[in-house]
Formats: sequence, C-alpha cells, structure tokens
Amino acid sequence: MRSIVYYVREFLRPEWLKKFFFVKTAPLVTPPYFKGYPTLTGKDCTGCFTCMMICPAPDAIAVLRRKEQWEPEVYPGHCIRCGLCVEACPEGVLASGRVTDLARRDATAFWHSFHLEVDESLCMRCGNCCVSCPINRQIDPQLAGTGTSTSDEVIMRVSSGRVRILHEEKCTGCKTCETQCPSGAIRVARMVEGVQFLDGVES
Amino acid sequence: MNVKDAVCPFCGCLCDDIEVEIEGDRLVGVTNACELGATKFLGGERLKSPIRREGKAWKEISYDEAIRYAADMLLDAERPLLYGWSGTHGEAQCVGVHMAELVRGVIDNTSSVCHGPSVLAIQEVGHPGCTLGVVKNRADLLIYWGSNPIDAHPRHLSRYTCYAEGFFLENAFRDRKVVVVDVRKTQTANIADEFVRVRPGGDYAILSALRTIVRGKTDTIPRMVAGVTRDQLIRVADLCLNAKFGAVYFGLGLTMIPGKYKNIRNAIELVTELNRHTKFTISAMRGHYNVYGSNEVNTWMTGYPFAIDFSRGIAFYNPGETTAVDVLARKECDAALIVGSDPAAHFPRRCIEHLAEIPVVQLDPYPNATTAFCKVQIPVAVTGVDAEGTAYRMDGVPIRTRKVLSSDYLSDEEVLSRMYALMQEALKR
Repeated sequence: MRSIVYYVREFLRPEWLKKFFFVKTAPLVTPPYFKGYPTLTGKDCTGCFTCMMICPAPDAIAVLRRKEQWEPEVYPGHCIRCGLCVEACPEGVLASGRVTDLARRDATAFWHSFHLEVDESLCMRCGNCCVSCPINRQIDPQLAGTGTSTSDEVIMRVSSGRVRILHEEKCTGCKTCETQCPSGAIRVARMVEGVQFLDGVES
Repeated sequence: MNVKDAVCPFCGCLCDDIEVEIEGDRLVGVTNACELGATKFLGGERLKSPIRREGKAWKEISYDEAIRYAADMLLDAERPLLYGWSGTHGEAQCVGVHMAELVRGVIDNTSSVCHGPSVLAIQEVGHPGCTLGVVKNRADLLIYWGSNPIDAHPRHLSRYTCYAEGFFLENAFRDRKVVVVDVRKTQTANIADEFVRVRPGGDYAILSALRTIVRGKTDTIPRMVAGVTRDQLIRVADLCLNAKFGAVYFGLGLTMIPGKYKNIRNAIELVTELNRHTKFTISAMRGHYNVYGSNEVNTWMTGYPFAIDFSRGIAFYNPGETTAVDVLARKECDAALIVGSDPAAHFPRRCIEHLAEIPVVQLDPYPNATTAFCKVQIPVAVTGVDAEGTAYRMDGVPIRTRKVLSSDYLSDEEVLSRMYALMQEALKR
C-alpha cells in the first residue's frame, strides 16, 4: 500500500507532468550535410559512365540511352546515397546535397584507371560481357545489334576460343561486364585516387 | 585462311556468325563461338578408319566392309532399331527414314529422351511459339524454366534473347527482365532479376498457381506452393502481365520430371492464358544442333516426329511403346544402328545391357561411350566442319551448315546412301 502511494506521489509531481506534456524539442530540419538520392541537374550527359565506375553499390546507377540523349538513372532501392557519382561526374549532370559545392571549393577530383581480368577456368565464352559492355556497343554496332563481334577496336571480344582483352585503356569501369557475367569470371579492378588541385597544379 | 559465317554444329542455337581460322588442313582458331562450339570445331582425336570388334581387340576395316556389315545386319534383323539422328544433317536423316521403312524397323531420335514430352504437349494444345529474332527484337520479359542456357546454350542470351539490341527496345538488356525458375541456383539465375526456386517436382503446381493468379483468383492460393511463397508468385505473375512481350524457354528441368508432358501442357496453357492480357510465347531449348530437324524430317516423311515403328508396313507412332528406351528395355530389338548420338552415355542401365547383347553399328567421328557396345564403328565427317548439310535451329529455322575443311572422311549422308543402296540391291535379288 505504501509503495503505491509512493508511486502516485512520484508521478503527480507538477514538474514531471509539465515536462511530460509540454516539453519543447527542436523542430526536425534537414542538416546541411544531408545527401539525398542523386538528382538530374539538366546538364547534358556525355555517356562516359564515370558515375557507374565509382558507384560502390551493385546496380545502383545505370547510364541509359533516352531518345537521342544519354541519361543516368539511379535505382533508389540499391543506392546508398554516398554521393560519389555526383562528385565523379565531370559534366555535373548529377546533384546531391552540397557535394559538388564542396568539390569545387576544395578543387578535388578523382583520378582513375582500370584493369580487366578473365578467369579462363570459369568463363563459358557466352559473350554476355562483350555484348553488354556500353563502350563495345558504341564501337561495334554489329556486336550490339546481333552479338556478332566484328571489330578489334573493342575493349574485349570472344576470339580464338577465349575472351581476349584488347583495349583495356578504353574501359570506363562501369562494371556492366562484371554484373552481367553469370559465372563471376570477369573482374574489373579500379584504381581510384582522390586528388586536389592548388592554383591549377595538382598537389 | 579465315572462313567467315561458319555455322556452329553444337547446340540448338546454331550460331551462324562463327569465324574459323584454317592452317593447311587444320582448324586452329575459332572466333565468336562459345566454349562448347569452339571445342566442337577444334575437335579431338578422330577414328582413322572404320573399326570392327574381333574378340577383345579392334581391327581396322575398309569403308566398303563396314557399310556391307551394317547393311547385312539391318537386313538380317527381325526388329532393327535406328536411333540417334540429332547430331547429323537433314539429308542423312532422310536416308535413315527410307532405310527404316525398307527394313520395317523402329526409327527414333534423341528427342524421346529430351523434348519428346514437349512434342506430346504441343500435339495436344498447340505451340504458341515464334522465332528467336522476334524475341530479340520485341521481348522485354524472358523466363528460363528448368534450363540453364549459360551451360547448355551459352550464347542464347547474348545473341538471341537478352543482350543484343532489340528493334523495339531502347536499352537492350536494361529494358528486359529475366526470370529463372529452377530447383537450384544455376549460373543463369545469377544474372536473373527474379529467381524462383522450386521444390523438385513442384513445377506443375507452380504453373497452376501462376495460371490461377493470372485468372484473378489469387486468394485461393496457399501461402506456400512447392517451396515458393505466394508473394513471389504474385510478383512473377505481375511481371508477366505487365510485360509487353514475354518469352518462356523451357528445358529438361520441365520435361524430364514427374508429370512429363503434363508440365509442358500446363506451361503452354499458362502462356495461352497470358496471351489474353499481353503477348507471350513459349519455346523449347532444343539440345543437339539438329534435333529439331530430325523431328521435322520424320514428320514430313512419316507424319510423326519421333518413335516411328514400320513393322506393320505403315508408320506407327506410340511413345512409351515405340520409343528407343522402351524397345531396348523390353529386349525387343535385335540390331541397332546408332547415328549422331551417344545412347550408352544417357540411357538407363537395362537398355545398355540389351545393347551389349545385340549387334550394334555406330556412325560417329569420335570414340564415345557407345563405342564400347559396338561391333562396328564408322567414322564420318563432322557436319559443319568437313561436311555440309541442312540443320534446323531450335526455333525451326533451317540453316545450311558449311563445310570449312576438306577431309577424306565420308559424310553421314554418303555412308547411309551407300548402305541403303546395298540394302535395296539385296532385297531385289
């Protein structure tokens, strides 16, 4: 009995009641450093696929052909809103929070190169990587149209019984080949360095 | 020397864009072909000449001797079996049917152990199919059911269905969805947008459930159907209903499980049902490069696609009775001619046991498992490499395979024609 009285007295303290019902919390505001899903700025995409290269989340961004124009499409279920694609895009096609402002203020950029490797023991030479590669598709329209490789100018092609890497330097690192390979046989190693320019000179 | 536009004689895709590199009388390089096609083109150690079993050893004999042995064997037999035919060209298959009729034998092709059930289902409910070109240009939904094209038809996706540009699609594979239905996570499932893992043998129930959802009776479906959740089934049905053009490709994972042709019938009826809402087609993933052709040749010559028994003097067709496996299992046939297939590697033990007891002649360029059961093996030219002939792609498109190499080997058609001529002569006497 005594304990019940104790609890009632404890909860009916005016100070406690006032705090419980009338406490004021700060209104919810979006902090300045918040990054939403990348949105389009309206600037023209050149289809360089740098955004796909830098993206750390599988299948989160794809550069698609819309009528006569390239356009990146972000898939919200996959995107982790890291903002790397926004920062890496050389044309400023994407925007998210203050990512581009900071990059401009600090004069930072990404430098990258790629290395392609095919595991011969896993590869079925099905051609998915060669046909799906957006750069191959631009260079060899026959390959894009019918899956028949006709040019040696492409990044890689099925030739002499294996996938031969011919022009690694043309790779933009979009990893389409990697995601479309059913056997996990092709790997794109990307080497990315963050660099800063001071008065027009790389530091 | 390079030969362009060679036709790959391996699987039912019959890719006709292969470039082969030839040095002298040897094929040294293959471009554009998958692993399976390249290996077939490059070949292995072929038999040099026909061989005959003598006790425990093989003796090399001449083509004339071998062909005469085969002709006599077929003429002496009461109930000869002529099996295989999927790994050879249409012209040779024609001679085969004539021979079967002449000796009143049973002629059957490999579809009796692969897509025979599909043929039965198609005979019952029709075939809402189309060529691969239509799928390439229009399909935005692909369903691979009980088949793993990456292993069996590696270029099916990159060349015919998913990755190549479509005339009515802007972004090729990104505009397409791939659904894989299988009992295990295959390589194809790795690149699928939706992988439906079915409990083994549960395909019929899944197909029925999908039909029910398409019919709008979703609330009658239990929470789980054959190991698949209702939610996933609804998702797959929605994908189908929202597609502009869907294509189902099914393999032996659907034909050779309990229920056999009833599964295919259900799949075809699902496709028919979906055609009330959108455009949908269904086709079989045919294995051998010319198994479809074998069905075609048999059909136009006898009226039936496989398992044809000429013992009554007319063509008689009754799968389950006149199919090679059943004829062998009942120990009925007393001689067998095997052309372009390897039954010893695929048939049940009981059939092989009988095969070991009867005289067997095989036409094949390479020694294989059936060689162990042969009395005589006759090496022939490989169609598409050192022989030409007509083959049918898995969608029924006839393609003329090319001869890219010259060799001294006789083609299947030449060997069989000589055999047939000998048999006609003998019967006249």
